[in-house]
Amino acid sequence: MDILASFEWSFIWENREELWEGFKNTMKASAIGIGGAFVIGLVLGAIRAHRIPVASQLAATYVEIIRNTPILVQIFFIFYFLPRVGVSLEPFTVAWVAVMIWGGAFNTENFRAGFEAVPQRLREAGLALGFSPFKTFLNVTLPVGGRIALPSSINTYISVLKNTSLMLVVGYAELTAVAYSIQANTFRTFEMFAVLAVAYLAIVWMLSALIRLLEARLRLPEAL
Amino acid sequence: MPLAYELPEWVRPVAVYMLREGLPETLKLAAVAVTVSALIGILLGTFLTIHFRPLQALLRFYIEVWRGLPIIVTILFIYWLPALHVLGQTIQLDAYTAAAVGLSLWGSAQVAEATRGAVQSIPKEQHEAAAALGFGWLGRHAFVIVPQALRRLLPPFVGLLVNIIQNTTIAFVIGVNEFLQAGQRQVENLTTQTGNPHAFEIFAGVLVVFFIISFPLTMLARYLERRLV
Amino acid sequence: MRRLVAITGLVALVAAIVTALSMAAPAGKTGSQATLPPKPRLPALPGEVRSRGKFLIGVKCDFPPFGWQDTSGRNRGYDVDTARQFAAWAFGSRSKVDFTCTTTASRIPTLQSKRVDFIISTLTWTAQRELTIDYSLPYYGAAGKLLVKNSVIVGRLNTWMRGKTITTTPGSIYDRWIKNCFKDTTLLVVSSPSSGVLAVKDGRADALMFDDAFLVGVAANAPDLRLTNHKFLDVPWGVGIRKNEPEMKRWVDTAIRGMKARDLFWKIMQRTIPRRFYTTFKQNVPRPKNTLKYPRGTVPESACPS
Repeated sequence: MDILASFEWSFIWENREELWEGFKNTMKASAIGIGGAFVIGLVLGAIRAHRIPVASQLAATYVEIIRNTPILVQIFFIFYFLPRVGVSLEPFTVAWVAVMIWGGAFNTENFRAGFEAVPQRLREAGLALGFSPFKTFLNVTLPVGGRIALPSSINTYISVLKNTSLMLVVGYAELTAVAYSIQANTFRTFEMFAVLAVAYLAIVWMLSALIRLLEARLRLPEAL
Repeated sequence: MPLAYELPEWVRPVAVYMLREGLPETLKLAAVAVTVSALIGILLGTFLTIHFRPLQALLRFYIEVWRGLPIIVTILFIYWLPALHVLGQTIQLDAYTAAAVGLSLWGSAQVAEATRGAVQSIPKEQHEAAAALGFGWLGRHAFVIVPQALRRLLPPFVGLLVNIIQNTTIAFVIGVNEFLQAGQRQVENLTTQTGNPHAFEIFAGVLVVFFIISFPLTMLARYLERRLV
Repeated sequence: MRRLVAITGLVALVAAIVTALSMAAPAGKTGSQATLPPKPRLPALPGEVRSRGKFLIGVKCDFPPFGWQDTSGRNRGYDVDTARQFAAWAFGSRSKVDFTCTTTASRIPTLQSKRVDFIISTLTWTAQRELTIDYSLPYYGAAGKLLVKNSVIVGRLNTWMRGKTITTTPGSIYDRWIKNCFKDTTLLVVSSPSSGVLAVKDGRADALMFDDAFLVGVAANAPDLRLTNHKFLDVPWGVGIRKNEPEMKRWVDTAIRGMKARDLFWKIMQRTIPRRFYTTFKQNVPRPKNTLKYPRGTVPESACPS
């Protein structure tokens, strides 16, 4: 067990600044990606649930393409596609755009399922109260369906965060990429894995706990 | 006007290389990972239904760790591991095995979780009936409960297969010549040989092939799910 | 029976011609090479390699023209041919070698974890790397070049680089050089040299800074791109060998010295690149009268041009 004996905390401490920068970059790309995925999911989910012609089919196509292709290939594709349409391309841009598009597709499904689970009679009640269809959506479908979709959408956000680790391939210095390059130069495998494991598991487990908490707190009354 | 659109000269050899060298590697990796994930996952998931705290805690830890970590981190870690010395033998995983192990750790955690749910969903009467027939815990699970649970597990299995096929691309990072890596290598070759990487076309092609493989499987998973409900 | 005679006769005839040609060939040569035996006197290989009967060597598979795979999946390139020459001398056959594909990031871990005997994978010498692994004698001398659009005029490097965006690959010597010496230059790090080429084509970067061997092929084939005359960071490459394996290092060094004396590196290079680039690359390979040296005691990427 010489491996564990040679584990040096001081090595992690010596590289703390670089690793901290990496962690911040992970959080930056994740935050933008999650925000974008939320908006995309909400809008396209609503379009899908209300079967708005053409837009709904386009959204479905987008969802199927993203869900049936590897995100790593999507990242490559974006990396080579964006410049073709004249978008300047920093690794950071590729990072958040890629996870946003990916998360948006999964979130579209989450919100669609949430909105479709809202009983028809609730919507009818909203319309009967004189709300416009849009107002009905805002006041009835969104709060109820959004609540139903919340746990699964948080699951998607967890995956979005985990997927930022793939940005290693486009040279974005997020946490995994930083640990990777430190390991490549020093071969401190266990120290670097410990950093990655603690960082990712802490966030992922916290968010999972949040899901369980919300599931308990936000449970809709049975009578619905 | 010719009826068929002439493909540029570079396309054929590149496509042949990718389909002959890269794609089989992708499919092989996926097959190994799915099989190992299923075997280990069903076993662990069944054990998870035993009410014995220390065992449950241990299995929970396994599941939460490998599900919680990004797969790329798991694969990198396994690939980075120094050679292990077991019983006088030196074990050193090559890139392909490291990727297969990494995917299987993740996959088995997924299967274990799904199996637990499926086993617990089998009515108590089934346990009692099997017990009345004289089966012990092992026989009861092996011959009565798990076979019934498997039916419920079929749709998530197909879903897992799709997921694993897509996640084999992560092996790219440690240099396994799967489909994406095969494409990347040809991009580099074309760059020096023709001055034009054709990267957009090649990665679009990779995307299309993965879609052609995954989409029918996704539809199958959905169909199975509907039929079982 | 008659066929047997015919075949024997044919074989004898071919043998005679081959012998005649091979006897004639050395006679035509002059200088030191002609007197060298076909194979250098090589020290013993480490026992493990000897009993295995073949080499395990890490090479690049995505780095033409040094280590790449052709469309039929065969390993090709300058590094690969060097490995095959080693195999021919060690085990009497160019095919007694198994290649492991390594990437820039995975090559040293692949070596350290004993997956391979050594790595011939475009490994530039750096003082820092030499702390963790041993280098053989140099087997290739790379130099950095700038790939730009045809319309771009580059004057003095120092002045021109200011305010420009330069692209290169992460962890490369150029990456560190730009960070050290060109503070007013924007660095765009891309995952592979080919995406650097695209960045220049798209105008996202003003130039790609990379190894000449890669860029020469690109510039020759892309009508809109060219190389500037600047040459910098000429740091040789070496075979990477694990520390504390003196037998292995001695063997590889002797083999490289032998290939240099017989001008085999140049022969390999001639097979690797088109004829029109021969003059560009003559200086890059070790030859009987061209000895490459690592810049030990200096840090090339910290030496800034004035």
